[in-house]
Amino acid sequence: MGAAGMSSVALPLTARYEKRPLGHFVALLAVLLAVLAAFAAAEWDWAALTDAERRAQAAARIGAWLAAFARPDLSAAFVAHAWELTLQTLSAAILGTALAVLLAWPLARGASRAVCVGEERAAGRSAHWWPWLRPWLRPWLRPWLRHFPLRSPSALLCAACRLLQDILRAVPDFVWAIILVAMIGLGPLTGALALALNITGILAKVYSELWDGVDESRYAQVRSLGGGRIATFLYGIRPLASRNVLSFTLMRAECAIRNAAVIGAVGGGGLGAEIWYQVRFGAWDKVGTLILFTLLLTLAADLASNYVRRQLRGDAARSGAAPASCGVVGDSTEKAPTSVRPEPPANATRPPRSPWLAAGFVALALSWSLWFMGWGNQAGEGGAPRNHLVPAAELFTGQAWENLRFFERLLSPELDLAALGLGDPEKAAARAAQGRAVELFADYGVADFWRPAAWAAWQAELQKWFVWRVVESAAVPLALAVIGTLLGVGGAILLTYPHSASFQLHAAQFTGESPALWQRLLRAMQLAAARASAVVARGVPEVMWAFLAIAFFGPGLVAGTLAIAVHTLGVLTRVFGEAVDNQPLARFEPACGASRATTYAAVAVPRVWRDWMTYAFFQFESNVRAAVVLGLIGVGGLGFQFSFNFEWFRFERAGTYLIMIILLTVLIDRGARLLKLSRVGR
Amino acid sequence: MQHRGTAARRGFLLSAAALAVAPTLGLGANPALAQQAPAKLIITAIPDDGDADRMRENFGALARHLGKAVGIPVEYMHVENYAASVTALATGRAHIAWLGAVTTAQARMQMGTRLTLLGCRDIDKGFVSYFIANPSTGLGPVANLGELAKAAQGKGWSFTFGSKSSTSGHMMPRKYFMDQSATTPEKVFRSVAYSGSHDVVMQMVADGTHQVGALNYASWDKAADDLKARAPIVYKTPPYTNYALTARADLGPELLAKLRAALLSIDGSTPEGAAVLKYLKAGKFIEADIAEWQGYVDLLESGIDIGG
Repeated sequence: MGAAGMSSVALPLTARYEKRPLGHFVALLAVLLAVLAAFAAAEWDWAALTDAERRAQAAARIGAWLAAFARPDLSAAFVAHAWELTLQTLSAAILGTALAVLLAWPLARGASRAVCVGEERAAGRSAHWWPWLRPWLRPWLRPWLRHFPLRSPSALLCAACRLLQDILRAVPDFVWAIILVAMIGLGPLTGALALALNITGILAKVYSELWDGVDESRYAQVRSLGGGRIATFLYGIRPLASRNVLSFTLMRAECAIRNAAVIGAVGGGGLGAEIWYQVRFGAWDKVGTLILFTLLLTLAADLASNYVRRQLRGDAARSGAAPASCGVVGDSTEKAPTSVRPEPPANATRPPRSPWLAAGFVALALSWSLWFMGWGNQAGEGGAPRNHLVPAAELFTGQAWENLRFFERLLSPELDLAALGLGDPEKAAARAAQGRAVELFADYGVADFWRPAAWAAWQAELQKWFVWRVVESAAVPLALAVIGTLLGVGGAILLTYPHSASFQLHAAQFTGESPALWQRLLRAMQLAAARASAVVARGVPEVMWAFLAIAFFGPGLVAGTLAIAVHTLGVLTRVFGEAVDNQPLARFEPACGASRATTYAAVAVPRVWRDWMTYAFFQFESNVRAAVVLGLIGVGGLGFQFSFNFEWFRFERAGTYLIMIILLTVLIDRGARLLKLSRVGR
Repeated sequence: MQHRGTAARRGFLLSAAALAVAPTLGLGANPALAQQAPAKLIITAIPDDGDADRMRENFGALARHLGKAVGIPVEYMHVENYAASVTALATGRAHIAWLGAVTTAQARMQMGTRLTLLGCRDIDKGFVSYFIANPSTGLGPVANLGELAKAAQGKGWSFTFGSKSSTSGHMMPRKYFMDQSATTPEKVFRSVAYSGSHDVVMQMVADGTHQVGALNYASWDKAADDLKARAPIVYKTPPYTNYALTARADLGPELLAKLRAALLSIDGSTPEGAAVLKYLKAGKFIEADIAEWQGYVDLLESGIDIGG
C-alpha cells in the first residue's frame, strides 16, 4: 500500500514534465482540425467578397444602413419613451441577476469538484470505494475514476448539480419565459425570472469552473490544518477565486442589462425587445436612438461595475507598488467617479471602509429595482403605477405548478422509432411501405466501407430517421461557433493589450520606463479607443450585427459568423482585460526592462491564460446555442430548429432537439473541464 | 477580500427578504384565477404589427370597449412572441386573445373544446398573401408557384418568410408553394430565412438582400410607392381564412354572450370603436364559428412539412 501510495504521488509529477509541451501541440492540432471540419461541414459562400458587382451593391447597402443609424429619432416623446424602457430594463436585469447570484452560489458549490468532492489525489481514497480493484491496476485507473460519478455519493451530487446547471442554460431564456407565463402570467417579473434562471446556469458553471481552477497546492494548508470541505471552500478556495468570480458576476449583470430582450417578450417592455421590434418594423431612426440608449446603459453599467470592483478589490494588490494610482485603476478616461478613492490603509488596525461603500451601492441598486418593479413603474392604465411583483405570489399556488403539465410533452421526445423498424410493428410497416424507413445496407454492405459512394448512400438512408437529422443539425451551429469564436478570441487577445489599464496607464511601475507626457497621452487615447470599440461591439445586440452582416454578405453562414465574431470580441475583450487588470502589478516585475508588448505576451498572457480559456470555452458554448441569428441568416441549425418546433407547439420534436442541445452543452462543458485538468497535470 | 462575500451576501439577503415580503403586501388585490367571471379579464394578441405602441394603444381601446360593455375591467397585455400568447390563453393566464389562423389552430389543438371564438373581422374570410421579387431577378408575374419554382431553380436566389408562426407570412405561402410546385422552398432556393415580420420581408426584398419573399397583402398595400416599385408582386395566393378573436370557454356562456354582443356592436360611433376598426382595417366584426378554422387544425395534424 505504501509503495503504491509513493508511486501515485511520483507519477503525476513526472507525467507533468513530460506531457506539458505535447499538450500545446495537441490543442493546436485540435483547433486546426475543428477549423477544417467547420469548413468541410457547412457551405461557406464568399461570393460577396470576390464578386466586384456584389461588393459594390453590398457597400451601397451598408452605406444606407449607416446613414439611417446616423439620424436617430431624438424627438422628446421618443427619448422619454426610451428612457422609460431603459429604467424597465435596468430594474428587471438587476433583479434577475441578483436572484441568479443567489441561486447560482449553492448550485456552483455542488457542481465544483474541488468544493463538493474535495481532495481526490490522496492515496487510497478511490480504492476505498473499489475494494475489488487489483492493487496494481489502481494507479492506472485512478485518473479515470475521477470522471465516474458513481464512485461516491458526493461525486454523484456533483454530477447532478452540473447536469442541472447545464439544463438551466441550455434551455433558451425565451423558453423559460413561456414556461413561466403558464405559471405566473404575463408581466415584466416573468421576464426577470426567466432571465434569472438562464443566468443561474451561466453563473453556476463559471463559478464552479473558477473554483476548480484554483490550484490545490494553494489551499493545501487549510486542509492540512484540519479544515473540512466547507472550511476549505470558505477560507481557501473562495477567497483565491473571488476576484474572477466578482468580475464575471458584474460582467453577466452587464450582459443581462443589454440582452434583456426576453423581459419584453412576455409583456414587460424593455430596450432589447423594443429594438427587435423596431427592427422588424424597419424604423431605423428609432433603432438608432434605442441603440444609443443601450450603449449608454452599457457604459454606465461598465462604470458602475468598475466602481464596485475597485471598492472591493482591496489594497493589497497595488498599495505597495503604487498607492497614488489605485484610484484610477479602472479607467480614468471614461470619467470614472474619482471622488471616492479607496484610501491606502493608514493604520493596519482599522478595517477599510470601501467594502461597505460597495455593498451599499449594490444594496441601493437592488432596492431601487425592487421599488421600481413593485411601485415605481408607471406602465399601468393611464400612467398609473402597477405592482409587477404581485404575480410572484402565484408561485405558491397549486395552479401554477399544475399548469406545468402543459409542457409535459417535452419530456417524451420524438425518437421516430418507426423509421428504424422498431416500436409499433404496424406503424413501422406503414413507414417501410412508404419507402421512408431506414434500410442502411440496402445498396452497400459493411464491406463497402472503402467506397465514398457507400458513405453518401448510408447518410441518405439515415436522413430518413428524424433523430439523425437532429444530430446533423448540430453541424451548422458548431461550424459557425468554431470560426466565430476563434475570430473573436483572436481579436480579443489583440484588443486586450490597448484595453488593459495595467499596460496603458501603470506600465511604468513594472517596466522601469518613464514615459513622456505625450506618450502617456497617446496611451490613454489608445485605452479610450479600445474601450469604446469594445463597448460598441458588445453593446450593439447580436441581432443588429447579424442584420448589418446580412446586408453586406447576403444571408448565409459568413454573415452569421461575422455577427457572432464581433459580439464575442466585445464580450471577451472585457473579461480578458479584467483578468489582466486583476493581476497584481508586482507579478509583471520579473520582466523589468522588457518592452510593454513583450511583458504582455510573455508574462501577462501566460498568467491569465487559464481564465481566458474558461471564458473562451464558455463563449463558444453559448455561441453554439445562438438561435436568433441562425433564423435570420436562413441556414437552420440546432438552436433555430428547437425554437421553431417549440413555437409550433410540436413539443415532442422540440424535446429531441432539446436533448441534443443539452448533450452538446454537456460535451463542451466536460471537454473544457478535462482540457484544463490535463494542462496543470492535476 | 473577505469583506466582499459578507457585503454581497448581506445585499442578497436583503433582496430575498424584500422579495418574500413584497408579494404578500399586494396579495389582497389579486384574487386567484376563478373559473367563473374573473374580477379582471386579460386580453392579449399575437405581435403581428411592427409597432408595439400602436398595438398597445388600439388593443387598449378594444379592451376598454369590451370592459365597458360587460362591466368587468379588461386589460391588454402586450407580448412579443406568438407562442407566448397561445400559452397564456391555453393556461388561463389570459382570457381573450387576438390570434391568427395558425395560432388559433394551435390553441385549438392544445385546448380542444375549452377554446371558443368571439368573432372575426369582415376581411378575415378572404385573406391573401403576396409573393414579391426584387426586379434584378427579371421575374415577371407568374401564373402559379410551380413556374416560380422552375424559374428559381439553380439561380442561387435566397428566399424569406416573415415570422415563423405567421399564417400569412409563412404557413399559407408555404402551403401554396408546396401544393403548386410539388417541392419545398428549401430545395429550390439557396437559403430560406425568417426575417421576423412582413415589413422587414418587404424591405429586404426591395434592397436585394433576399431575391424573393412572401408577406400578407395589407403590409404590401400600405407601403410607400418607391418601395412597392422595388419589390413588385409576382404572385397572389387564393383567399383563405385568417385572424379571429378567441376566448376561453370557461368564462361561462353568459359572459361570453355579452362579450360577443359587445364585439359585434363595435362601429364608428364611439372613439374606441372607430380607433379599433381603423387600426384593424375592418368595416365591422362578424360572427365566426370554430369550424371555419378546422381546416388549419387538420393541416397541422397531417404533419405538413413546415421546414422545421
